[in-house]
Amino acid sequence: MAAVKQTVEHVASLEKYKHGFVTDIDQEFAPKGLNADIVRFISAKKDEPEWMLQWRLEAFERWLALEEPDWAKVSFPRIDYQDSYYYAAPKTKEGPKSLDEVDPDLLETYKKLGIPLKEQEVLAGVQGAPRYAVDAVFDSVSVVTTFKKELAQAGVIFCPMSEAIREHGDLVRRYLGSVVPVSDNYFACLNSAVFSDGSFVYVPPGVRCPMELSTYFRINAENSGQFERTLIIADAGAYVSYLEGCTAPMRDENQLHAAVVELVALDDAEIKYSTVQNWYPGDPETGKGGIYNFVTKRADCRGDRSKVSWTQVETGSSITWKYPSCVLRGNESSGEFYSIAITNGRQQADTGTKMIHLGANTRSRIISKGISAGKSSNTYRGLVSAHPKARGARNFTQCDSLLIGKHCAAHTVPYIEARNGQAVFEHEATTTRLSEDQLFYAMQRGLSQEEAVQLLVNGFVKDVLQELPMEFAVEAQKLVAISLEGSVG
Amino acid sequence: MLSVKDLHAEVDGKEILKGLSLEVPAGEVHAIMGPNGAGKSTLSYVLTGRQGYDVTSGKVTFEGEDLLALEPDERAAKGVFLSFQYPLEIPGVPALTFIRTALNAQRKARGEPEVSAPEFLKLARAKAGELKIDFDMLKRALNVGFSGGEKKRMEILQMAMLSPRFLILDETDSGLDIDALRIVADGVNALRSPDRAMLVITHYQRLLDYIRPDRVHVLSAGRIVASGGPELALELEREGYDKYARAAA
Amino acid sequence: MSVASAIKTGDAAELPGKRDEDWRWTDLRGLIRQVPPDSAPAAAVGAGPFDGAAEEIVVIANGEGAAHIGVDPHGDRTVALRIVSRGDGSHAARVSIDVEADGRLTLLESYEGEGSYLSQTGLVFSLGVGAQVERVVLAADDAEGVTVSEAEVQLAAEASFGQTVITGGARRQRLQTTVRHPGGHANLRLDGVYLLADKRHADLTTVVTHEGLDGVTEQLAKGVVRDQARGVFQGRIVVAEGADRTDARMGHHALILSDRAEVDARPELEIYADDVSCAHGNTVGRLDEDALFYARQRGMPDDVARALLTEAFVGEVVERIGHEPARDIAAAWVAERLRGG
Repeated sequence: MAAVKQTVEHVASLEKYKHGFVTDIDQEFAPKGLNADIVRFISAKKDEPEWMLQWRLEAFERWLALEEPDWAKVSFPRIDYQDSYYYAAPKTKEGPKSLDEVDPDLLETYKKLGIPLKEQEVLAGVQGAPRYAVDAVFDSVSVVTTFKKELAQAGVIFCPMSEAIREHGDLVRRYLGSVVPVSDNYFACLNSAVFSDGSFVYVPPGVRCPMELSTYFRINAENSGQFERTLIIADAGAYVSYLEGCTAPMRDENQLHAAVVELVALDDAEIKYSTVQNWYPGDPETGKGGIYNFVTKRADCRGDRSKVSWTQVETGSSITWKYPSCVLRGNESSGEFYSIAITNGRQQADTGTKMIHLGANTRSRIISKGISAGKSSNTYRGLVSAHPKARGARNFTQCDSLLIGKHCAAHTVPYIEARNGQAVFEHEATTTRLSEDQLFYAMQRGLSQEEAVQLLVNGFVKDVLQELPMEFAVEAQKLVAISLEGSVG
Repeated sequence: MLSVKDLHAEVDGKEILKGLSLEVPAGEVHAIMGPNGAGKSTLSYVLTGRQGYDVTSGKVTFEGEDLLALEPDERAAKGVFLSFQYPLEIPGVPALTFIRTALNAQRKARGEPEVSAPEFLKLARAKAGELKIDFDMLKRALNVGFSGGEKKRMEILQMAMLSPRFLILDETDSGLDIDALRIVADGVNALRSPDRAMLVITHYQRLLDYIRPDRVHVLSAGRIVASGGPELALELEREGYDKYARAAA
Repeated sequence: MSVASAIKTGDAAELPGKRDEDWRWTDLRGLIRQVPPDSAPAAAVGAGPFDGAAEEIVVIANGEGAAHIGVDPHGDRTVALRIVSRGDGSHAARVSIDVEADGRLTLLESYEGEGSYLSQTGLVFSLGVGAQVERVVLAADDAEGVTVSEAEVQLAAEASFGQTVITGGARRQRLQTTVRHPGGHANLRLDGVYLLADKRHADLTTVVTHEGLDGVTEQLAKGVVRDQARGVFQGRIVVAEGADRTDARMGHHALILSDRAEVDARPELEIYADDVSCAHGNTVGRLDEDALFYARQRGMPDDVARALLTEAFVGEVVERIGHEPARDIAAAWVAERLRGG
């Protein structure tokens, strides 16, 4: 009960979208629009080697030949790809060498967002609390990455992608695009051409990453898109837990966020990837503005007994189109997907996962909790497939949708393809509304309607929340509360 | 009748039975008692040939024949019956159909003629009556929606109908109230005869008040660590398994 | 674009294929390069599977035959509808079925094929208030035949429509039912069974749209595939805005009995109303090993135990057929298929 009360108080103390402020800072832009010269501009800005530029240009060529997909259950006006900036960065002489050199306005921004960028602030925190190394990405560039030294001592590379391309070229060349091929889909292809920054992680064989890694993405500039690219490699027997958070200012126009995240897990390696996505969802009444969140996230469980676990809390964005997936290539590899997707106002989300069983005795587990309120639409779309060689493949899927209000929609679209007699797939799905009996019961015990909804919703999403690292779980719970504010009554 | 010599068996690569030896002569009832995790259920599955219970060494003979070489249904046709601790629910198959299919399969394996439908129904009616099972329940899918007690009674009914020669009762008392326990025990006791033997596997002594054993064995950490008469069960009830757990370790 | 128009125009490009989302697992365009010429009238059609169970028999052979079945208010008919395909041509037929208020119809429909034909049948059911229809479909197509059956059902308040489709598949086969469900305490049951061997394919597709208050839909489909066969189940339940108090449940369960067989499923819920209770369950796998061991411990040899459990698995659907003679015919057909495989 205490938690609920706390949540409700928290809700009361906040405006609806608390991350909606704009940082007033001098920024540098690429010319508006998209062509091969813009691709060259971005590559040059980042001082990239020739191979990277060629890779980008090839992607751009292919993108021109592709068509925007229309199969998701979302609708929006056609995007004018020429009416956007593909590069925006805070003006600095050179990339900051240390935290002291970072623009104070930026530091203030992250402080306001609650992201610890000063290592001592983290260290001065509660004893025993886990530490986080943070890579902070502001529009198109990474502004600072913390704990790099300490991580390097453990052999872990954690740095902005642009830096990795320059300094760990061999690793990047080997793995970039090996999970999500350049022309995998329209948005991934666009990203391959114009990606700006994102995080690069390499954990060497047998190393358990000594702290949680996290990246905080912030879109600030007007009329700009963010195209981050993240690549995480866990070498044999390695372990890493990675978190990402996302916010953006409240703006009237739509902004595109087309990220690509690639994870590679070799033999016996494990990657845990958690997302709390809270991009600006647009105006709840008019649907104006908000982020188009079109991302491609895929893990390749390349090694035997490797494991990847995706956990996502999706509360923001006006449109979400996202299917963090696992290719279970290694024998006995396993994939997990835990998702909470909340839509309110005019939001549209089409999200889910793909579990592709290729290796023998591979396992996957999908727990998806969708909540729709207001005039929003929330779709779970998923694929579970077992190829003929995936003998002994197992999947369990639980897919629940909760509807709050008369004008929202909830869809469940699972695809199941079993191509051998030794695979066992189980799928369960329910769609219900918040139980009036339960609401009444809680209210009879003294909870307000809003509190009662909180309580029941928290119960509904509990299975997924408990998969998040503790600090994130608390944050996510608050976010769930805020996202549903004003959804009843 | 049943002879187990230095039996080693593993499940998922983990050794559970570690040199178990046991002789059960015809006409006798032997109890196997032991703490949780001692290997009691493993023993019952190894004797009946369940997949995944792998014998790594040792011998089991049933009336002189190598039991381990036989398929589960061949063992059943020889007369080995296991009353499951958790009887399976079989949706879509009425209990009568299931039992009749089993009975005729066993008879066929033994070279005996099939039982005719009227004969079978007569037998089923009589045995159901003895076990106080509503005959209509036999028309329903086997064990689907049955209570724990009903499932156990259904096991004893199958036992009575199939008339096996070697009975293994795996925790048959669990989940039974006192009245149900008495009915089940009566059913089992009715099957006692000089050419049958029984292995009663149980954690508690309670069942042995109703099904009196000739011998009691203590199973701990995969081996028989003590054997004695019925008084051993009473001692275990009083003093617990600690002494034997330590002896095994 | 449809199968019917492809047959009419002879243009194979009109056939749906895997690029059409709803046909991704039943690719006709990739299979049929050229639409076969129109079928010649069929010669003798022999006896149908439901002949003994119906009062009247309607035969449509190679697209030729009576095309309307009507039931007057409070009337009651039991009709065997035989869709017969013979030879290597293509043919299409349309059948309209009108059951007026409080009328009852038992439609025992069979697809009987011999040859490598392409056959399309469109059925349009229209039910009056309180009408009751039971439709039992037995699809016994040729291993070389291609059959598409598309039924559209318009339900009315307090009406009931119960359907059981039982199929052994074909070279490619789609049995589709689309239902507009007005709610109003109307009851819908959409069951199906597919038993596939060799290289046969069967696709059971249903789309139910709940358009009003208080609708009930219940669906149970089961499949058994072996060899290199492929079973497809697509079930979509749509609940339109305002169709409150809808209660819809869908279950699809399949057994794959060989290493090269395939089952594809898409159980879909599309919900635009909040006061609903909708659920679906889907399992694909093999026979339960524990149940198999239990049966074998009781003395059943492996093949006997498997047959018993498989028949029981499918039996749960067959038992739901209300019309007793049809149920017996269906059960016998299923048993023969399972044992023959």
